[in-house]
Amino acid sequence: MPTIDQISETVFRETISRAVQDVFKTMLGKTASLAQTADDSVINDASQMEHPVQITGQQVVGTVGFIGDISGLIYLYLDANFANELAGQMLGMSAAELEEAGDEVVNDAVGELTNMTVGTFKNQLADKGFPCKLTIPSILRGSNFSIEPISSATRRIYRFNIGTQQLVADLLMKTGEA
Amino acid sequence: MRYKILTVDDSKTVRIIVKKAFKTFDCEILEAANGVEGLASAAKENPDLILLDITMPVMDGVEMLTKLKSDPALKGIPVIMLTAEGGRDNVLKIAKIGVRDYIVKPFKEDVLVEKCGRIIDLKPLAEGPQKAKSIFDPATILIVEDKPAIIQQIQEGLKHTPWKIHGVNTTGEGIDFCSKNTPDLIIISLSLAEEAAFTLFRLIRQNVKTKYTPIFALVVKTEMVVQQQAQQVGFSYIVTKPIEVPELESKIAKAMNLDTSQRYFTLDGDVFIMRLPENTSQTVVGEVLNYLKPKISEAVDSGIVKAVIDLHELKGLNMAVIKLLIQAMQICKELALQFTLVGNSQIVSECRGFEDTRNWQFHDSLADAKASFTRTAAPPAAQTAVA
Repeated sequence: MPTIDQISETVFRETISRAVQDVFKTMLGKTASLAQTADDSVINDASQMEHPVQITGQQVVGTVGFIGDISGLIYLYLDANFANELAGQMLGMSAAELEEAGDEVVNDAVGELTNMTVGTFKNQLADKGFPCKLTIPSILRGSNFSIEPISSATRRIYRFNIGTQQLVADLLMKTGEA
Repeated sequence: MRYKILTVDDSKTVRIIVKKAFKTFDCEILEAANGVEGLASAAKENPDLILLDITMPVMDGVEMLTKLKSDPALKGIPVIMLTAEGGRDNVLKIAKIGVRDYIVKPFKEDVLVEKCGRIIDLKPLAEGPQKAKSIFDPATILIVEDKPAIIQQIQEGLKHTPWKIHGVNTTGEGIDFCSKNTPDLIIISLSLAEEAAFTLFRLIRQNVKTKYTPIFALVVKTEMVVQQQAQQVGFSYIVTKPIEVPELESKIAKAMNLDTSQRYFTLDGDVFIMRLPENTSQTVVGEVLNYLKPKISEAVDSGIVKAVIDLHELKGLNMAVIKLLIQAMQICKELALQFTLVGNSQIVSECRGFEDTRNWQFHDSLADAKASFTRTAAPPAAQTAVA
């Protein structure tokens, strides 16, 4: 049986990259590109990092987990304005209609984008021999916050440029014997 | 029959996208947010198709599918999975429970509609906002023909219409055009190499968007075998080369179900005008005859008492046209509509040559004809004598 250690960094990067690109292209016709960063390596003790995601301003964060032969979760960080723009486009609603519909509609759209992204990510891993199931999405809203995972998790942070906007994918994986 | 599609997904976003995708089709979208609601709705509404997500609270999609398939009353409802849960093994496991198709999110609306269209006979809404209704509305016509001269001839011949004629030379370009646009009518040349025209015909018919689009075949007049083949396959109409463009125009209008009556019948203030075009062919006579009674009745119903039969553009008379005119005058008389005629010198002189038309009186212009109504407060039909 394959183990999680056998998944190389390149595979993680390519898998998450393909997932984000596929979802944004298919659902929104937008091109996402992975920004090259120097600190691309895995952080083994994720709790040691202070504000690793480096966000500013109001954020809408979608999260979906995957449980099975590999387990973990992915947070997608979106600037609140960008989240509104994406929701409007996905639902075919104008800014005014979206305003009237309220945050819940935007939350749901971001939740679904996250669900699709994590689904595409974990489906690729499932086909490599790591079957797992998705969890129901949840949403965080706020500014100036930092998510601190437990120390046994590995953390990988990927930044994507989508037009002039940014998206951060924060991948947390459970290590060792699940 | 209006089809019902039930979308079972905890995400309102997905349900809205599904609704949006089917907006232009004649079907009703029902919604449920989890498996329990989904089963209840399936039992109550008996939908024609279910789109089912997997990861949902209360009851997930796999459980709902299992329950659905074990219920004799519901197991016949086709199910398409629409879920982010992919992966080969997972898909195979669920497929075994009994699903018609499996769409892994993210998904394109077109793909969703296309896959549903393979299971239920989706029809585009007749009341579609962009659909041409009358001869004056814009419409898109695609011609797939490897000879540019033919495309040019049709474009030239139909340039007086509001139709946009888009010509391509290969089936590949034709398919490409149909994927980006929804033409109102397609003309395919049967002279395309190999059986390309028939293959293209089938592909267009398989696409939900163009399933009911009229498709004309373009073929040389003498090639009877190919014409027969095209008829059997189900081409809406066979256009023969050399092309008679006025005939083609009329067939296009008919195939697109366009109201062409405005071409022949109009209202000018309080005067009803029936106008015959320069070249009033047999086809035109047939068209006018169809509208004749309803149009005149409609005018009388709305309070019109004066009519002008305008023949100033008409090139010549023949028996069909004369019969049409006599019938028109007869209807006017029956409905007590006061009428008069406008003609050119050619028509006036030709009328003298026929027994039935010898006594017809003409005005030189529409203005003269209209003025004549005010000069004479005569009883209906007194202005002109009808044989």
